[in-house]
Amino acid sequence: MLLAGGQGSRLGVLTAKVAKPAVAFGGKYRIIDFPLSNCINSGIDTVGVLTQYQPLRLNTHIGIGIPWDLDRNQGGVTVLPPYEKVGKTEWYTGTANAIYQNIAYMENFNPDYVLILSGDHIYKMDYEVMLDYHKSHNADVSIAVMPVPKEEASRFGIVVADENGQIQEFQEKPAEPKSNLASMGIYIFSWPVLRNALIALSEQEGCDFGKHVIPYLFEDGKHLVAYEFNGYWKDVGTLGSYWEANMELIDIIPEFNLYEEFWKIYTKNEIIPPQYISSDAKVYRSLIGDGCEVYGEVQNSIIGCGVTIGKGAVIRDSIVMQGAVIQEGAVLDRAIVAENAVIGQGARIGFGEALPNKVKPAVYSFGLAVIAENTVIPPGVKIGRNTAVTGRTEPEDYPDGELGSGETLDKAGVVS
Amino acid sequence: MRAVGMILAGGNSYRMKELSNKRAIAAMPIAGSFRSIDFALSSMSNSRIQRVAVLTQYNSRSLNEHLSSSKWWDFGRKQGGLYVFPPTVTVDNNFWYRGTADAIYQNLDFLRNCHEPYVVIAAGDGVYKLDYNKVLEYHIAKKADITVVCKQLPKEEDVTRFGVLKMNEDSRIEQFEEKPMSSDANTISCGIYVIRRRQLIELIEKNAEEGRFDFVRDVLIRYKSVKRIYGYKIDSYWSNIASVDSYYRTNMDFLKKEVRDYFFCDYPEVHSKVDDLPPAKYNPGSEVKNSLVSAGSIINGYVENSVIFKNVFIGENCVIKNSIVLNDVYLGENVHLENCIVESRDTIRANTYYNGDDGIKIVIESDERYVL
Repeated sequence: MLLAGGQGSRLGVLTAKVAKPAVAFGGKYRIIDFPLSNCINSGIDTVGVLTQYQPLRLNTHIGIGIPWDLDRNQGGVTVLPPYEKVGKTEWYTGTANAIYQNIAYMENFNPDYVLILSGDHIYKMDYEVMLDYHKSHNADVSIAVMPVPKEEASRFGIVVADENGQIQEFQEKPAEPKSNLASMGIYIFSWPVLRNALIALSEQEGCDFGKHVIPYLFEDGKHLVAYEFNGYWKDVGTLGSYWEANMELIDIIPEFNLYEEFWKIYTKNEIIPPQYISSDAKVYRSLIGDGCEVYGEVQNSIIGCGVTIGKGAVIRDSIVMQGAVIQEGAVLDRAIVAENAVIGQGARIGFGEALPNKVKPAVYSFGLAVIAENTVIPPGVKIGRNTAVTGRTEPEDYPDGELGSGETLDKAGVVS
Repeated sequence: MRAVGMILAGGNSYRMKELSNKRAIAAMPIAGSFRSIDFALSSMSNSRIQRVAVLTQYNSRSLNEHLSSSKWWDFGRKQGGLYVFPPTVTVDNNFWYRGTADAIYQNLDFLRNCHEPYVVIAAGDGVYKLDYNKVLEYHIAKKADITVVCKQLPKEEDVTRFGVLKMNEDSRIEQFEEKPMSSDANTISCGIYVIRRRQLIELIEKNAEEGRFDFVRDVLIRYKSVKRIYGYKIDSYWSNIASVDSYYRTNMDFLKKEVRDYFFCDYPEVHSKVDDLPPAKYNPGSEVKNSLVSAGSIINGYVENSVIFKNVFIGENCVIKNSIVLNDVYLGENVHLENCIVESRDTIRANTYYNGDDGIKIVIESDERYVL
């Protein structure tokens, strides 16, 4: 069961129109491709995807699951949105509540075990190994955990386990962590245990796995074990970590390697032709997606599929998503340009000193300029750092042709 | 659409030299991400032809792998589908396909069991986009028995490897010569035909009785004065890849913006089997000029005026000029290639130098990656 209904509000305007799992990543992927590919690579061919927030792009991306070989006669992928019921109808009010509302779906398959995943992490993991661990430990619940540096441990939900992996204690963002194992939000439940817990907690407001189900089972004396995972795992919940995780792919041999034959990541290929690099282009230390036309300069950047980069344009330390057009002479520096945005001729995105954002300083930081999808930036304007721009903007929107650092220009009306 | 499709993909040509050792021409990789047959298949799919038979014979392993699923071209339907027909031994036949007409003859049951009134026959070695509906409309308007899609080549082009034809002012074909020694005409057949299904079955049966096996010689040329055979001229891009020179040239054509726009951007799109490859990667030291690069490639060297296919690794200090590097090639450090076509799955060792001084050099080396 893949939880993909969250907004991911810390990604700001990137998730104004799409759910976080559908946000583009690494040139041609979307974030949900990683858990979905992990599922099929682990031999899990029955996957329910729970959607709620802005599901359109997620739905069209998943379709009937062809890219992940999840178009099956039995099982396969099923998109599970909230639905109307007799009597009390509600949205998914929490992670466990969403699963509770789909008990009937799981009962169809009469499973022995249920794997709970979230659709917003970048990692490669063999769930079958975790399931073997779950079985061999006769566990009721297995929680995937990973070691984090001690000094950062207070930002996570910390799990304290004994040498057999049996969980002794939970600490939610503790000031003084007793262990360095952080929960990854990946759980394997024995089905009867999960079912009973969900029914017992069905009246719980905003029922959540971490806050309610796991503590309930822990106090109930169920056998909870921690499964330690030591591979690459990245939460791309903030613009900074999202940008960083993308940039890490550029390293010569990145820690998270997409080029390995083993454990491929699958995605829906909407664009298949090769990319064209012109005589005037300079491409250096970058990942470039299929079907791009590059006439300008690209360095240290991730370029999605079907992007056009005009002559004389310079793209530095930036992420450009599918279908965007960077016109001639435009300069991007630490920018995130979302899908199908158009950057006008000679526009300059990311200049000057990084002042904190005036509307949402916690979201728009890291010195990044974020251009939302379908945004149009008129030619020649300058946009500072820690900024967000949405909608079809006109030259009049830029006094003196500038949008200073820390400003937000919201023509699409999506920044609340 | 009211037609079934047949793609003749069984052929080999000595003009492809070593490139056809590994595969049928219809499976030749084109333009970085495609195979030759994708163009005929996509045109059929985009023309809403629902039922397509691919006739294979020569070295079809690679082609079969490419066609392993019909879903990429949208043929995985309840109505119709994509069928691959190699020659088979039956009660009354134990021959290979002895020619194009014989290939159709051996699959007459397929044609008999269809309900569509027309048949579109296409070759698997053409790079083009064509709406067969337009050809069919023309075919019906002209009350033709057979319509041959044809193209006028530039005066200087060599036409001797094609069927060369001459039409009257009504576009009816009056002269047709197959691979002439020399010709003053420069309108050639593209190897794409539209014909009524009953008519095709009748002609093919008659030919088989008389021991005639070639569609062009024994149907088009032999019947041109008794049947109404018309030419349908196309002005759009069309190229036949069945010689090393034209294969090289066709790939290089994709470095032109107008050709890329026509095939990659304009509606309808060309479909192909999807490989799940990551984006192309440019490491420090890479310099790419006027080239096509496909998914999964990693570039550390210098590339100019070249077409790099999928999953190619180019080592440090490599220089690749005016070359075509096919799928899954590994180039070690300091490799220098000019005017070459590098066969797929090659491992080119470090410090290798190849230059096609007098024409295009085909580089074939063994795949050493799993041996070394």
